[in-house]
Amino acid sequence: MINLFLILLGKFTLLISRSLNLGHGSTWPGHVALSINKNFIKQIFKKSKSKIVFIAGTNGKTTTAKLIQTILEQNGKKVFINQSGANLLNGISSSIIEHSTMFGKIRCDYFIFEIDENTLPLSVSEITPDYLIILNLFRDQLDRYGEVDTIAKNWKKSINKLPESSLVFLNVDDPKIAYIGKGINAKKLFFGLNDKGLGQKDFQHASDSLYCPNCDEKLEYETVFYSHLGIWHCNKCNLKRPLLSIDNTSYYPMSGIYNRYNTLASVLFAKTIGIDETNINNALENYSPAFGRQEKIIIDNKNIQLFLSKNPTSFNESLRTIKELNAKNILIVLNNRIPDGLDVSWIWDIDIEKYVDGFNQIFVSGDRCFDMGLRIKYALENQKSKIKNQNYNSKFKILENLNDAIKISLEKTPEKNVLYILPTYSAMLEIRKILTGRKIL
Amino acid sequence: MKYQITIGWLYQDLMNTYGDRGNVICLKKRCEWRNIDCNIIELNIGFNKEELKKCDLLFMGGAQDRQQRIVTKDIKGEKSKIIKKMIDDDKVPGLFICGAYQFLGNYYKEADGKIIECLEILDLYTESPKKNKKRLIGNIALKSNLFEGEPYTLIGFENHGGSTYLGKNLKPLGKVMTGYGNNGEDNTEGVIFNNIIGTYLHGPILPKNPLLADFLIRAALKRKYKNGILEKLNDKLEIKARKAIANKLGVEL
Repeated sequence: MINLFLILLGKFTLLISRSLNLGHGSTWPGHVALSINKNFIKQIFKKSKSKIVFIAGTNGKTTTAKLIQTILEQNGKKVFINQSGANLLNGISSSIIEHSTMFGKIRCDYFIFEIDENTLPLSVSEITPDYLIILNLFRDQLDRYGEVDTIAKNWKKSINKLPESSLVFLNVDDPKIAYIGKGINAKKLFFGLNDKGLGQKDFQHASDSLYCPNCDEKLEYETVFYSHLGIWHCNKCNLKRPLLSIDNTSYYPMSGIYNRYNTLASVLFAKTIGIDETNINNALENYSPAFGRQEKIIIDNKNIQLFLSKNPTSFNESLRTIKELNAKNILIVLNNRIPDGLDVSWIWDIDIEKYVDGFNQIFVSGDRCFDMGLRIKYALENQKSKIKNQNYNSKFKILENLNDAIKISLEKTPEKNVLYILPTYSAMLEIRKILTGRKIL
Repeated sequence: MKYQITIGWLYQDLMNTYGDRGNVICLKKRCEWRNIDCNIIELNIGFNKEELKKCDLLFMGGAQDRQQRIVTKDIKGEKSKIIKKMIDDDKVPGLFICGAYQFLGNYYKEADGKIIECLEILDLYTESPKKNKKRLIGNIALKSNLFEGEPYTLIGFENHGGSTYLGKNLKPLGKVMTGYGNNGEDNTEGVIFNNIIGTYLHGPILPKNPLLADFLIRAALKRKYKNGILEKLNDKLEIKARKAIANKLGVEL
């Protein structure tokens, strides 16, 4: 009963905060509800038939959430989707209030939450997800999230606590993620790749988990798909990649190996809840990318495609994918604001040497454009260039002002070509604002 | 005669957390731009200790605890003895970043008082942060007198939990202008001993501090060829990158 009152109170608070324009995504109603009844979220979900889906992983959360949302909605389900942050619980409780009827009934079939590295333990202890999808674990913003091993340890601890009623989907091509699934109570399903034709010869430099998570021996890889994801086993303790529930599907809406994983996670999830492949594929044909994730924008007859590139692995995979798309003109925008991480050292972990020769124009901008400029300089100039480093390659230019950088790089892009923009997160938002003339979020 | 140097890159697949590979790329390119050949030997788990004898310069990057544990097993004993001799007697230059810097010392003391032995090459030790003490994270600038002429400002990014304290006879790499440095208390950052540099600076440190890169290359050439004269390179972009960050930090270059 108290919860019914809290929902009404929350709806009222929401109305006021909206009419006073206190911010659209206010977590205030949720905060009020939780401070009166700290079990508000648990109790509401216990009574409701709505399912909760958590999506965790360094890269691919937003795309996977959107893929699942598309499949569910196209198949007649009501979906609420949210990104986690410091105010995760207040946010969840606010979204319950917003999506409930006056009688406390939730009008949503699925709540999907993107859970970042540090909030997974808290989220899992406060709310028991019906489904948890874990995509991967790479080095990312070490100054903010900490080191990969520490995160993996914390994840394992909290996932061990999940009850049998939860179902966990794991990308077992990532040894650390496979290890997290060992000995847990929750049910589990595994996804990964088997098509060796998709593999690459060498490890990328920023590969993180090359040593056995169980016994520290160096892992053997039959195939590497990207970073440390592949078909692996340990010769010493015999830990190996478990058998897969899914390794392929008939339709992928986006390019890039990394999007194969995102798609496979989504398809496996959809099949598990009873949607068949035809309906899944029909839904995926209507998929449009999330902000900045291979999003296409046309300005004055020029084609632009945004590839969010926020850490070494995502940057490497962006480069690999745009190379497959025969990219000639690129603009890299490096910021180091709070959402990007303050430390830009990671740009030296990118294997950019492999790609620079294929581009005709490389423009660089952003708050840390000179750092990125140095990275490109060291990748471009080699011993054979007789001019030494007096005059580095004319195809490379640094433009501090982002407006100028976009304008000039677009001018230099021939009409039949695409300008590929690789921004960090805050840079992506800035670029979208410039290109579309409006602000998002 | 064409000069040639060999860089021994210790445990590159384990000790490589914060873009530290950039230091090796920087050393190699700055050699090649001067028409000096530069070979890199990767000294990974199980490497033959004889390989060390080929090295004119050593490099080791930072790592997480687990990686450091794996490396300790491999390097303890003979390999560690050879490295100590290279540093002490042969004055081989080298750069040791963050975890590798701590590794050179006597020990690492964990929060619960547990002592983890280190290589005992330099008289320094590191203590894990006391409870409730935050990691030392952020941009850092220091003044170093290591180079000929004016004191030089070194710029980078630090991210470490441990606090390092130098023995009486050791000199720091520089004095902290902004940031934490070795321990956030005594204004020192890093260490310089013979031609070995230990430091907490990522960034990576060398591309944005080209004088330090050249210091290491020069020391390697001097040892090998008795000639440390280096051709000047065009560092305009490096200087711009340094100025941009110095302005943000409000320090003079």
